Amino acid sequence: MSRNSMIKTVSVIIFAVLTTWSGIQFYQHRHYQLPIVAGPGVTKVVKLSDYCAGLKGTMADTHVFFLQGKEEGGKILIIANTHSNEPVAILSALVMIENARVEKGTVIIIPQFNNSGSRNTKPGDGYPLFFDVPTGWGSKKFRMGNRNASPLDQWPDPDVYVHYPERQLLSYLDVRNTNRTWPGRSDGPLMEKVTYAAMQLLREEHVDLAIDIHGAETMFPVTNCIVAPDKSMRIATIASMTVTAMEGFENHVEPSPKGFRGLSHREIGDYSDTLPFLLEAPTPFLDQPTGPKTVDLLLKGKDPFILSLSKQKKLFVPYDKSGWPMEKRVGQHCSVVLEIMHQYSMKNPDRAILVSNAPHYADLVKNGVGHYFHNPNEAKKGSLYFN
Amino acid sequence: MVLHIGIILAIMILAYAWAGWKKLSVELCMLASAVAGGLAGAFIKTPPIGALARHLIEGTFTYLDVILVFTTATIFIAIVAESGGVNYVVRGIIKAFYRKRIIALLLLMVVILIPGALTGAGSVSILTVGAPSALALGYLGISKKKVTAILFIIAGLSAAAPPVNIWAMIVSAGTAIPYVGFELPLGIPVIVLGTFSMLVLGWKREEKKELEEILKEMPEVPDKMTWWRVLLPFLVFFGLIIVARIRPFSFPILGLPLEFTIAGIIALLVSPKKINILILSRDTVKLLLPLLATMAVVGSLQQIMTATGVRGMISYAVISMPLILLYFLLIIIIPFSEGILTYGGAAIIGIPLVWMLDSIGLHATVVIAGLSLLWPLGDGLPPTALIGRLSVMMADYKGSYWSFLKATWIPWIVITIVGILMIIFSAKLAFLVRWSM
Amino acid sequence: MFIVMIIYYFISAYIAGMLIWNFVREKKDMQQMLLYLIVLVPLVLRIFHIR
Ligand SMILES: [Zn+2]
Repeated sequence: MSRNSMIKTVSVIIFAVLTTWSGIQFYQHRHYQLPIVAGPGVTKVVKLSDYCAGLKGTMADTHVFFLQGKEEGGKILIIANTHSNEPVAILSALVMIENARVEKGTVIIIPQFNNSGSRNTKPGDGYPLFFDVPTGWGSKKFRMGNRNASPLDQWPDPDVYVHYPERQLLSYLDVRNTNRTWPGRSDGPLMEKVTYAAMQLLREEHVDLAIDIHGAETMFPVTNCIVAPDKSMRIATIASMTVTAMEGFENHVEPSPKGFRGLSHREIGDYSDTLPFLLEAPTPFLDQPTGPKTVDLLLKGKDPFILSLSKQKKLFVPYDKSGWPMEKRVGQHCSVVLEIMHQYSMKNPDRAILVSNAPHYADLVKNGVGHYFHNPNEAKKGSLYFN
Repeated sequence: MVLHIGIILAIMILAYAWAGWKKLSVELCMLASAVAGGLAGAFIKTPPIGALARHLIEGTFTYLDVILVFTTATIFIAIVAESGGVNYVVRGIIKAFYRKRIIALLLLMVVILIPGALTGAGSVSILTVGAPSALALGYLGISKKKVTAILFIIAGLSAAAPPVNIWAMIVSAGTAIPYVGFELPLGIPVIVLGTFSMLVLGWKREEKKELEEILKEMPEVPDKMTWWRVLLPFLVFFGLIIVARIRPFSFPILGLPLEFTIAGIIALLVSPKKINILILSRDTVKLLLPLLATMAVVGSLQQIMTATGVRGMISYAVISMPLILLYFLLIIIIPFSEGILTYGGAAIIGIPLVWMLDSIGLHATVVIAGLSLLWPLGDGLPPTALIGRLSVMMADYKGSYWSFLKATWIPWIVITIVGILMIIFSAKLAFLVRWSM
Repeated sequence: MFIVMIIYYFISAYIAGMLIWNFVREKKDMQQMLLYLIVLVPLVLRIFHIR
């Protein structure tokens, strides 16, 4: 064997080993199943494909948890992980699913809305594949996903994404972004089917409120806020003022822009009777000028560069040495969700949604997020779901 | 943490320099830099050593779409060129407009602008129509140095031209600004600056030959070549793009790579000359290799830079600069970020920069348009110098790289001024965005 | 839609094939060989439906 073919063979072997090793890691990430322990309030678990047959058997299908009260009342849909690189959403959703009890009305929760996106990674952005949340019984492992669905499930992207049905032109990437594909259609690209299924759920179940939970950069103006269209504005404003005054964290309301199509807070309002809200909480991990993208940064939100930019007044949120820990963000979301329900119930007593045993901001800050997760190994038979 | 990141950055630069000293190609220098940065980072677990290979490999996916577009587009144009179509068009232009030199120059500008405008890659312009255009420009009496300069500047502008501008797309996607309304804010400056550059560089006829003599010198075109054979594949390609826009809900999503593939198959079918597609594809991929490898490696480099915090630190340095200083430094930062990272520069510096400028009242879409006039200039700067190197290659320029780059100075400065002014006065230019929609 | 997706796997495989062909033919330039392998990596992982 000549020296050159020797080098050739060796380099092929090295590449094969590295590619296989990484391939296994990608495979494990894509196929990791997150255990979700259905809490005492969960009465029914269905699949999103029950509302759009086109999702059946695809990676985009996902669980829908129903928490029905003894008494009839209003209904709320909580959507989490529309963007799977904003995991504050799924943590908030799981806190609800594993703990909340519903006295009146129905709470419907989709903890992993863009399931394909949660099994995708974000090339170029150096994210960890998983992150662990410490709990009393060990740690709970979550997938760190991407903003967009995986090209393995929806490929190719168009030259430019033409929004259905408004025909607004959006970036080609947004065809895989489930916060641009609302209201969707039953025979469109996979992510349009996902949002279409959710629209069908809202219509068939006569849902009163829909809350889409997100996390946003501290340098992005729309953060620490409720985004609401005109029809949800009153409730959003009172809820925001109440949490700011009573629970001690900052929150404001942003109007949903009329000319920006495909977003949940726009299209749910325009294409159904449901009142939509979109919640944002600060996520320093997502900012460009940060140190390494570590699990620590994701969970604690501490970063020297963000701190310095805060001193230069370049952030849109208050920020100090304590960072922006996950329990604060989850707490904010839980409190805002509960407050929106509360305000709606006061205005519409016959469509009230009454929830108990759901923690507020102060509880989460005190106990941490992991405190509210139950050990899947000790879960009651039939109460364990994998997503 | 800041110190650690600084050390990692220093190690990355050293590794790059070492690889360059060892005479490795630019792509391998970048790879060396990425690997060294990753290893240095692994000492403090950013990233953990077990995740290092995954980061390097995940990074290569960053521009996988671009790799597919580049390859299919270049194979498509290679088929058109091989069938004699490109020479046919160049011959047509020279024959018809030899005596109307200005019109000939402007037509050639359009020819060079189109492939890049459609694919977002100036390199596609160079790779496809670069060689014949260089010939035609030479026949019009322009020196090789200036021909190379023209190829570089016009190809750069073609990448910035609508409908596809990859820098703008990357920044738009990262800042949640819709990629719409760029047609006029990009189209007008590209046409104006392109015309200006073409005339500045091509105005002087440095040697004069007779038309007869030139036509004899030009490469032969197959007898059976006709206008429709050249046009049909392009019509199909544009047709597919246009139908996708007009009937987006009933027409399947094809994507640029498949649209190029279909156009390529049509070109193959109507070619008057038999073409061995396998050999042609193989050779095209070989020709494209530096470019494809750059796209793959830049992704890895970007991923390592993010995983180690280097990217964040650079991004921080740019946005914490005083505004006036920033405007001045953009003239340097933007092209150099492109020279070092190609499209990665748009993500690392472009995204936070646009947010910041947006928050002080500038119009984000026009800012992005202005920035994306500056980015292509960086394609002539080392270490990557992608378009610059390709221009030298296609124009067959034998002088030093720097002598060619120096020849671009007038358009370079004018493009820079226009770009910076667009950024500063973006709020006043917002009407261009509205008119585009 | 599904058919288009399948075609993309074929396009990827075609390009990968060209890269491998060039890699095999390349006898002298070690640097070029490495570059072929680098570009192959994402294509291979995509073709095998891994990432
Ligand atoms: Zn989001």
